Amino acid sequence: MLHLLKIEWLKIKNYRAFWVFAILYLVSIFVVTYISWYVEQRTKSEIPQTAMILGDSFGFPKVWQTVGWLSSWLLYFPGMIIIMLMVNEFNFKTHRQNIIDGWSRQQFIGVKFALVIIFSLLITLINIITCLIFGSISYGHFSMDGTAYIFYIFIQALAYLFFALMLAVLFRRSGLAIIIFFLYGIIFEWLITALLTFNFHLSPAGYFLPLQASDVLIPIPFGKKVFYPDSPSSSILIIAVLAYITAYVFFARKKFLIDDL
Amino acid sequence: MSSVLSIDKITKFYGSIRALNEVSFNVQEGSVFGILGPNGSGKTTMLGIVMDILKASSGNYLWRGQPGSAPMRQQIGTLLETPNFYHYLSGEKNLRIAAEVKQKGQDEIEKVLHLVNLYQRKDSKFSTYSLGMKQRLAIASTLLGSPEILVFDEPTNGLDPAGIAEIRELIKELNRQGKTIIMASHILDEVEKVCTHVAIIQKGELKASGSVQDILDRKTVDETVFELAADDLVALQTIVQQMNGVLKTSLVDNYLQAVFANSVTATSVNQFCFEKGIVLSKLNIKRKSLETTFLEITGTKSER
Repeated sequence: MLHLLKIEWLKIKNYRAFWVFAILYLVSIFVVTYISWYVEQRTKSEIPQTAMILGDSFGFPKVWQTVGWLSSWLLYFPGMIIIMLMVNEFNFKTHRQNIIDGWSRQQFIGVKFALVIIFSLLITLINIITCLIFGSISYGHFSMDGTAYIFYIFIQALAYLFFALMLAVLFRRSGLAIIIFFLYGIIFEWLITALLTFNFHLSPAGYFLPLQASDVLIPIPFGKKVFYPDSPSSSILIIAVLAYITAYVFFARKKFLIDDL
Repeated sequence: MSSVLSIDKITKFYGSIRALNEVSFNVQEGSVFGILGPNGSGKTTMLGIVMDILKASSGNYLWRGQPGSAPMRQQIGTLLETPNFYHYLSGEKNLRIAAEVKQKGQDEIEKVLHLVNLYQRKDSKFSTYSLGMKQRLAIASTLLGSPEILVFDEPTNGLDPAGIAEIRELIKELNRQGKTIIMASHILDEVEKVCTHVAIIQKGELKASGSVQDILDRKTVDETVFELAADDLVALQTIVQQMNGVLKTSLVDNYLQAVFANSVTATSVNQFCFEKGIVLSKLNIKRKSLETTFLEITGTKSER
C-alpha cells in the first residue's frame, strides 16, 4: 500500500489545482474561525447581555464543537479535490493505463480509498491545530472535555469525502459530480431535512440523510434545540454515518471492479 | 513454440450490440502478430479484454497458459487506443509513474526517451506535445523494463512518414531481439510490412488467422498479373494478345495490364516482345498483396 500511495503522491504533487484548493481550505479555516471569534468578542464587549446566550464558544471545551461546526462548511473544498483527482483519471484514461501497466482494479480503487482516509486525517489535524490556537487565546483551561468532537470531525470528513469519491466514480464527469455534490449538500439536503422535521414532524427521520447525519453530530454551538429539535444521540448518528460510508465504499468499489473501464 | 496468448471463444456485447463473436486465436512466441480489421471491427475491444479493462461477456484468455493478472500485466508493454498520460505532468514524470506501476527501475526512463527521440522534450508538459510526440511517449512507456511481450494498438497513429518508418523499424528490431509483438492495425500495408502472423477481424467476426504467407497464399489463383509499357501501348497490346498463356489484357492509364497463366515468366514475356520488335519500358510482376486478399476475404465494400 505504501508503494501505491507513493505513486498517488507523484500524481498529486505537481497538480496545481490540488495545491490551490488545499491552501484555500487551510486559509479559509483560519479566516472563518478568526472572523467568528472576532465577531463574538465584539458582540460580547458591546452588548454584555449576549454573553449569556453565546457562552464562551472559543474557550475549552466548547471550541472543539465550534471549530468543527465552522469547518464542516468548508469540507466542500477537500471534497472537490477528491472529485477532481478521481475524474482526472477518467478524463486522461489513466485509470485504464494504470491497470494496463500492472495495477489490479482493487489496488486502483483501494488507494483512492486510502487517500480519502489520509485527507480526513489531515483535515482533523488542521482542525485540532485551529482549536488549540483559538482555545488557548480564550478563557477556559484545556481538559479532555469535548475532545470527542475530534473523532466526530474525522467521521464527518470521511462521510463527505467518501460521498464525493462515490459521485466521481459513478458519474465520471467532474462538472456533474461537483454540481450534484454542492446542490445536494448545500441546498437539497437542508430542504428535505427542514421539510421532514418542521412540516411533516417526522423528526428524527430528517437527521438520517447521508450528509446530515454527520452534520447533526457537530451541531451549531448555540441553539441546538432550535435547529435540531429531538436529534438522536451521538452513538446512533455515528452508526448511521458509518453505515453510509460503508455503502459509499461498497458502491464505488463494485462499480469500479465490475464495469468496463 | 509455446503460446504467448491464447484466446478462446471471446464474445463481447455492448448492450445489444455484439462487438466480438466467439473469436479464438493463438499468438506464438517470437511472432509479430497483427490484428487486422477496419475501424470499429473489435480490435481494441479484443485487446482491452485481455488487458482486463473490459470484461468479456463470455470466453477465456490465457497469457503464457495463465489467467490474466496484475503481475502478468507488469511484464507486458501495452499501448492501447490512445496515449493515456497525466496532461499536467512532463513526459519524464509520466514515465516515472508508469515505471513505478510496472515496478521497473527509474534508470530505464532516459534510455527509452532517447529511443523514441523525445529526450529533448522530456521536461515539457504532456499537454504541450503534438499528437506524434504523445504517441512516441506512449511507445516509450511500453518499452520500460524491456518486456518480452509488447501490445501495440495502432502504433503509427498520428506519426509523420519518417516517424512511421522509425516505429516500424523499431518493431522489427524488437522482434529480432526475440520479443513477441501483438499489433492491431487497420493499415494493411503496415501489417504486411511488419507482421509474421495475422488475424483478420470484421464486425467482430474472425475471418481468417495464420501466418501472413498462409493468408496470402490461401486464395491465390493460378494467374500472374504483369504491368507492361512501351512507346506504343496499342501495338504492345496487339502483340501480347498473340502470346501463349495470355488470359486477359487491358489498358490502364499509361501501361498495359496483362494477366497470364502462372507458367509465364518475366523473361519469356520480355523475350517475346523483343522478338516482335517492341522494346519494353516497363515490366513489373504485380505480387498479390494482403490488400487484395483482405478485400477478397472481407468483401469489397467497407462494411462495418
